[in-house]
Amino acid sequence: MEDYTANTQMGSSTNNNFLRLRTSLEDLYALWEERIVKRRPFQYIVGCEHWRDMVLAVEEGVLIPRPETEVLVDMVEEVVRERKDLREGLWVDLGTGSGAIGLGISGVLGESGLVIAVDLSPVAIAVAKYNIERYNLQDRVEVRQGSWFEPLQDVKGKIAGLVSNPPYIPSEHIPGLQPEVGKHEPISALDGGKNGMDYLLHLCMESASALTPGGFVAFETNGKDQSKIIAEFLHTMPKNGFCDVKIRSDFAGIPRFVTGFLR
Amino acid sequence: MKGQWSLWTKMLCHHVVNKSSQMSPSICSRLGFQTCDHRFPDWNWASFYSSMEKPLRLYSTDLEPQLSSDLIRIMEQRLSAIEYRNAYLQDIIAKPEVSAGEFSSANKELKKLGGCMDLINELRAKQKEIHSLKSLMDECPDDKDMREMVVEELNEAVEEEKRLQHLLLKSLLPKDGADERDCILEVRAGTGGEEASLFAMDLFKMYERYSQKRGWRFEVVDVMESDLKGYKEASGAISGPGAYGKLKFESGIHRVQRVPVTEKSGRVHTSAVSVAILPQADEVDVQLCNEDLRIDTYRSGGSGGQHANTTNSAVRVTHIPTGIMVSIQDERSQHMNKAKALKVLCAKLYEMERTRIQTSRSMLRSEQIGSGDRSERIRTYNFPQGRVTDHRAGITYHSIDDVMEGESLDIFIDALLLKQEMDAISSFSSL
Repeated sequence: MEDYTANTQMGSSTNNNFLRLRTSLEDLYALWEERIVKRRPFQYIVGCEHWRDMVLAVEEGVLIPRPETEVLVDMVEEVVRERKDLREGLWVDLGTGSGAIGLGISGVLGESGLVIAVDLSPVAIAVAKYNIERYNLQDRVEVRQGSWFEPLQDVKGKIAGLVSNPPYIPSEHIPGLQPEVGKHEPISALDGGKNGMDYLLHLCMESASALTPGGFVAFETNGKDQSKIIAEFLHTMPKNGFCDVKIRSDFAGIPRFVTGFLR
Repeated sequence: MKGQWSLWTKMLCHHVVNKSSQMSPSICSRLGFQTCDHRFPDWNWASFYSSMEKPLRLYSTDLEPQLSSDLIRIMEQRLSAIEYRNAYLQDIIAKPEVSAGEFSSANKELKKLGGCMDLINELRAKQKEIHSLKSLMDECPDDKDMREMVVEELNEAVEEEKRLQHLLLKSLLPKDGADERDCILEVRAGTGGEEASLFAMDLFKMYERYSQKRGWRFEVVDVMESDLKGYKEASGAISGPGAYGKLKFESGIHRVQRVPVTEKSGRVHTSAVSVAILPQADEVDVQLCNEDLRIDTYRSGGSGGQHANTTNSAVRVTHIPTGIMVSIQDERSQHMNKAKALKVLCAKLYEMERTRIQTSRSMLRSEQIGSGDRSERIRTYNFPQGRVTDHRAGITYHSIDDVMEGESLDIFIDALLLKQEMDAISSFSSL
């Protein structure tokens, strides 16, 4: 084929991005093979994922934050715009993974905000800490290791907002997952038990006593039926239930999120 | 296999190129890349801006036409009207029984008149001075020394009066409220196929260089490439003081005459590219309602969420009432793509609103230059003859390379600004 770009007279300019390789093509080829043959996720290969306005470090053992989850933070932003008391209160991200949601919330709360990011996995704790320090937010986002509400006993009943993207995929769906997900991402961040709602239901029950009255919850769910069940559950919970429970769709039209306020 | 490989390396590079500065060094070294992107060089923009900052000249100052007596008479009428209005408003806010709403609207209007009133007061003081100097001259017709002194002072005062009148005239001319705003540039290849796309790219880069030379920030919003790496369509966001005011005259059809790279026999072709400059708007200007927006992603079916791994972050925003659609895919996260798409959408809606208001108003000729007919052919770039001709200003410039480098665009822009001003003055006197 004729090389048009060789003719510079007409101003059809050449590619201006210069790349100097520091690694041999063999090494690059090996990376490519990992991607194409082993289906290792692109984000693990480059070691990061662009999420909202951030670049978050990720590695094997930590769930790669999903684009859908960005909207969870948008919903928090909408809520704290209306409710000053919640903006100045304590927020919690349960099962933080790479720290994405916690960092996102810290961003929308601004200087006065305080977030606690909880995870059970030591790898997740290390990665979340790294990301938080990279954005110099260690004074505003605290990382605690433990299972769900376990490390939060000292703030019980004082939490203004609780956000979580817990594992919600039904166990039987795990073997059929896209290889990038099923073979490489941590199953502990994906498998939500028999119907996928083990952790979601646990979080719903516990959040009633963890939140301050009027506090806000937002969960990501598997979609259609799950979001309906969780919404129904929040609404009809024994003792002090939740009000203003809403289901919100992601940009693909799947009813993905459930939000509510403690009575 | 080969195709996949090149796509893969491109993807790796792209991923790193734009954000390498934000990534941990270990990630960069793991990839083995050293990157350099000409579009976003990693340097200190702030110091660059301050070194480029020049006082902005929105109105021409060097060419002051002699104001005719008719024009001055008309202006005097306007000035008394303003003075009357000012006094009336002062009266309102001085009243103790005035309502809060009335007070604030009167106050607002007073503030608007403020700058003009200062000039008027200065002018009135000067006129008083001239009057008393004249009567002084009548009183002592015999004292020669005295007369000389008075004449000298009188001349000075008359000059000053003229200067003030000029300033006032300029402040009374219609102003485009959007001049100070940032703008969105859209370039679209028209007739001429690949050649038009290549020229669209050249123009896009010309504006990029022009913006950089002025110390404005130029951000590529979206590019749709043609087969030969030209631009079928491209848009950019330009931010800097007075960006819209300067560039608004660029809207229209730009014609190019040259031998295309695709042409084997050396024949000169004529192609066209359309350029649109829209003032940037924020959500306050256009009041976007969430209900009016449909946002979707290009990911196909499936359960999404935790089920899926994707690197596709493209977003399409549709404004349901107008049917305007904006798709952005060059940012690395869905969130950033959405933010950019909303920015473009706001500018488009704002421009629609402006055009609506402008057409419903009686049109001044000056407004037609800037933001009127998009289908008007405004400029010809003739490469064989090495010239650029602006058809509105009637100016031909003979160093086409300078223009394409973004150096000499000001020649046209200044001429058009001056033309706008002169047109406004003439329409002022005919009112």
